[in-house]
Order: sequence, then C-alpha cells, then structure tokens
Amino acid sequence: MNLAYKDIRYSLGKFLVTAMGVGMLLGIVLIMMGVYKGMLIDAKAMIEDVGADLWVVQEKTLGPIAESSRLFEDTRDVVAAMEGVAAAEPLTFQSLQLPTPKGPMRVMAVGYDPFGKIDPIKRLVEGRVLLHDHYEIVVSDKTGLHVGDVVPILRHRYKVVGITHLSVSSGGVPLVFVSLKDAQELQFSYSNNRIRSDRARGVEENPAHFVNTIVVKVKPGYDKERVAKDIEKNLHKSVYTKEQEENILSINFIKMASKQIGMFTTILIIVSTIIIALIIYTMTLEKIKEITIMKLIGIPDSKIVGMIGQETLTLGILAFIFANIFAHLIYDKFPKRVVLEADDAKKLFAIVIIASLLASLAGIRKVLQADPTEAIGG
Amino acid sequence: MQAIQVHNLYKHFGKGDNIVRVFEGASFTVQKGELVALVAPSGAGKTTLLMMLGCVIEPDSGQIWLGEEKVYDNHWLIKDPRALRRKKIGFIFQAHYLIPFLTILENVTMLPIINGVPKKEASKRAMELLEYFEIADKANEMPAHLSGGQNQRAAIARALANDPQIILADEPTAALDRKRTIDVVKMLKKLTTDKNVAIVMVTHDESLLPFCDRVLSIENKKIIEKPVTPDMHII
Ligand SMILES: Nc1ncnc2c1ncn2[C@@H]1O[C@H](COP(=O)(O)OP(=O)(O)OP(=O)(O)O)[C@@H](O)[C@H]1O
Ligand SMILES: [Mg+2]
Repeated sequence: MNLAYKDIRYSLGKFLVTAMGVGMLLGIVLIMMGVYKGMLIDAKAMIEDVGADLWVVQEKTLGPIAESSRLFEDTRDVVAAMEGVAAAEPLTFQSLQLPTPKGPMRVMAVGYDPFGKIDPIKRLVEGRVLLHDHYEIVVSDKTGLHVGDVVPILRHRYKVVGITHLSVSSGGVPLVFVSLKDAQELQFSYSNNRIRSDRARGVEENPAHFVNTIVVKVKPGYDKERVAKDIEKNLHKSVYTKEQEENILSINFIKMASKQIGMFTTILIIVSTIIIALIIYTMTLEKIKEITIMKLIGIPDSKIVGMIGQETLTLGILAFIFANIFAHLIYDKFPKRVVLEADDAKKLFAIVIIASLLASLAGIRKVLQADPTEAIGG
Repeated sequence: MQAIQVHNLYKHFGKGDNIVRVFEGASFTVQKGELVALVAPSGAGKTTLLMMLGCVIEPDSGQIWLGEEKVYDNHWLIKDPRALRRKKIGFIFQAHYLIPFLTILENVTMLPIINGVPKKEASKRAMELLEYFEIADKANEMPAHLSGGQNQRAAIARALANDPQIILADEPTAALDRKRTIDVVKMLKKLTTDKNVAIVMVTHDESLLPFCDRVLSIENKKIIEKPVTPDMHII
C-alpha cells in the first residue's frame, strides 16, 4: 500500500493547486532560460543571415556592432580585388526611431547595397527585398507595418516593400533594411550637428562616404584565416571570421546576461524549494498525530519517511510538468525571442528533483522527532 | 501460560524538585486468555505502564517479559521495539486515531501488509473483522465519514488485524455509548477466550469490571490486585 499516493489522493485539490503555483514559478525559470537561449541566438542571427566569411572593420576595434567602426566606402574595392576574395560588400548599422502603428519603435537599420553580391535579408516572409537605390525599406514583422505602408524617416518617406520574421540585431532589436545610399544619408542627417562642429574645427569629412564594415565572402579553396591575415596586413584593418564576430557579440553579453538571468533563476528556484518545503512541512505537521500513532502501533520510520519523500517528489514532478505547460503557453507572448529547449528542461528537472529532496528534509526531520509517547496525551 | 510478566519495575519522570516517581518496585503477571482491568486514579501511571509494556517508554529498572521473550532487563533486550509492537501487540486508545487518508479497510490492513501478509489475505481477514464489528459496509469509506462509535470499532478491528498476543487498551470505551461499551468489552472478553489473547484494559468505568477476569490497581507506586467481589457480577 502506497501511503504517499493515498495521502495525495486524500488532499488532491490542495496538492494540485500547490503544484500549479510552484509550476508557474518554475515555468518562469524555464522562460528565463529560454530568454537567455533566445539572446544567444539573437546575438548570432544577424551574422548568420549576412552569411559572410569575414568582417573587415576599422583597425583595433571590435566593430561594427560591439564597437563603432568607420571605414571609407572605397575600401570595398581594394578588398574585393584581393587574392581569394569572392565578394566584398559594405554594410552600415545605426539605431533609428521608426514610426510604426504601435508608436515609435527603436530599430536597427542595416544599410546594404541592393545590387551587391551579398544579400543580408534571409527571413523574408512577405513582399520582396530592395530593388531600388532609394526610399524602400524592408521591416521586421514586429513593427506591425505592412507591405505598401509608407514610413516617414527624417526628411524622406520610405515605402515598405518586404516583411521579415525574427530578424533582429545582436541585442534583440528588430532590424530594418535600407539601401546603403539611404543609410549613409540617414547617418549624415543624424550627425548634422557633429558635421557643423567638425567644420568649425576645420575637419572636412563627408560621412556619406563612410561605412561601418565590409563583409567578405572567400572563394572556395582559400583558407579564410589566411585571407583575413592578408587583409589585416595590407589594409591595416581588423578582420574577424564569422565565428570570431559571433563570439565578440555573444561573449560581450554572455557574461552580463548569464549572471543576471542566473541570479533570477537561482532566486526563483530557491523560492520554489522553500514553498515546496513549507507545504510538505505543514502537510506533515497536519498529520503529526497520525504519524506518532503510526510509530506507536509499529509502522517503521522508513515507511513514513518514504511517504513524505515520495509526496515531495510527486509535488516537484507535478510542478515541473505544470511549469512546462505554462512556459509553452506563454513563451511566444514575450517581446523578445524565447527559445525553450529540451536540454534546459532536463537541467531544470534535475534541479527540481534535488530541490524536492532538500525540501522534504524539514518534514522528514519532524517525522523522526515525533515522539510516540505524545500520541496519547496522558 | 504467562503473556506479560513484570518484575520490580521502577519508573520516574523529571528530576530534582520536579521528580515524579510513578513506579517503585511494581510487579504483576497477566496470563494468556485473561482480560485484566487496570483501574487507578488519574495520574497514577496507567498509561505509563501500558507504554512500558509496549516498549515505547523505557523503565528505569526491573524486568519485563512479553510471552516467553524477556524484552527488558534493566535495559532493552530487543533491537527493534517497533517490529515487536506491530507483530505482537495491538493498541486501542480512547480516541480512534485512524489514519484519515486511508479508508477503513486500508487502516485495518496496513499493519498486516507491512508484516508481510499478502494483500488479499489481509483484506479478507480485515473484512471479517469489520463484519464482526458491523461496519463492513463502511469498509471503503474514509474515517471522516463515520460516526465516533463506528470509528472506534474500526480502530479495535485495526488492533486485532495483526493477530496480537497482547492487547493494550487505554480507556477504549470512553468514547462509546452504553450499549457499544458493553458490546466492546464483551467482545474483548470473547477474544481472550477464543484467541487466547491477553488484554490489559485501562478503564474508569466500574460497571465494566464484572466482565473482567481480574482487576489491577496502582497503589503506593506498586501494582496491587483488587478482589473482584461477587456483587460486581451484576449482569
Ligand atoms: N513524559 C512525561 N514527563 C513528565 N511526567 C510525566 C510524563 N508522562 C507522564 N508523566 C507523569 O507521570 C504520572 C503518570 O502519568 P500517566 O499518564 O501514566 O497517568 P494515567 O494514570 O494514565 O492518568 P489518566 O487517568 O489521567 O490518563 C503523572 O503524574 C504524569 O504527570
Ligand atoms: Mg492515561
């Protein structure tokens, strides 16, 4: 006869409600883990989409996203002419406030050459990529804009020609794509003040001829690292392979985010453990009289302790199941990407089992302390 | 054949100014097949005595035999008192103390099953007991759904389920009405004759004494035998 099963059956309602409550907490833990995974994927998504083998940036910078990087646009021609380079295209990145039906939205504008050999738009779900040099824009579906909408940005009006899904910058900000020429003009417009002050200081630079990075595709059969070295040496630029660039972007925030999210999940898990422990403890206290009687009539401790342990484990496992249901119900309602992975669920499961075992200790201690002579007062 | 033998038992609680000496050199014997009443004023040590016989409370010194086995000789001689209790002793208390999350039937079969009796057999035996106590129709109910008297009868069935050689009953009828009280005591008496069980029953109810074979009391921290006078046998 399984005492834990009988006891749970007896107080099923309370047990299920508790499991659901703890399940929600653990569900949030799963979401947090998913947010972290989402950030990792976001960090690399754009680099994956661009699909370049090498990223050429201003010398001694970690550009173009982690640090600002400025290159002359004509660097592209020099790079393109180098041994082993199949294609080289300039890209620009800048933050924009995009007017959307939901109000102004911060987006990252990627400027690229619509007629170039490297197309950074990979997640088109509607419409088309850019076909003209001016006043066309491809936006993320997160903006709520539709193909055919017209968006005013600074002095010009841009026509939405395409919609992408889940294309985001390394920080999870939705991407929009404009032509390189438009992007350079936007950058120029943005820095009007600076240009004025530059002029005042006698610095003459036309930002319209700057880009943030040159992305490179290497010809098959060439060693990417070798080509990177060549560009670095000859052009005095910093060059990163795709993997290095991904690392720059993810390592940057992995330290921060993993600490932040690690703290949150640890606290939530501790709170869940305490709740489980409290519930099991009070459930044990509620039947302490019966437990002392059980001891008195000769039920071995192992049976009673086993009951408490099994109840705690059941509570933990039920909570874990609720957590998964809960997490899957709400994860796509979050503004940023949440990626629920079986691996994380497995980790959480192991943690829940350990936490439940810990949580049962208070109740078990109470059981072992219970004095059978107190069962029958007087 | 003796079921319980106690020799020169000492027991006290507390120390210093708060010391309570409960037994000083208590001795008595209960034979198999005897229903023995234990009557004494409140605080005299009746419950304490039952708990020592049940190997729950440790005496200070003395000797205790349960059946042929010497279980105490200035210290416990048994390794697992709980195993001894669940195999040899049945407990009945003033309150029923049934496990609330088990059905009546499960309450009764719990000990035999832990003792290794196959579930089917334990259930069959339990049903017989429940029938005997006229609560077989409540077998699958929870204790909370039964009346106090029905629960008390279930508790007695539980105490009998492991076929104990000794039953220690601490005011078992205190919660029952007159008719049930008489029924239960008659039933306990029947057990002693049918099953050769030894029963020590604490009671404050003098009208029950005529059903008992002997009456013990506690006086001057010793156990004394009270004569059962003929006029006690009323019924
Ligand atoms: N754990 C304990 N600690 C201290 N004193 C105790 C303890 N248990 C019992 N006593 C004392 O021992 C004496 C005998 O107690 P016991 O419970 O055996 O009496 P009783 O005869 O069963 O009384 P009642 O008829 O009221 O149930 C009492 O004076 C009681 O206060
Ligand atoms: Mg008492």
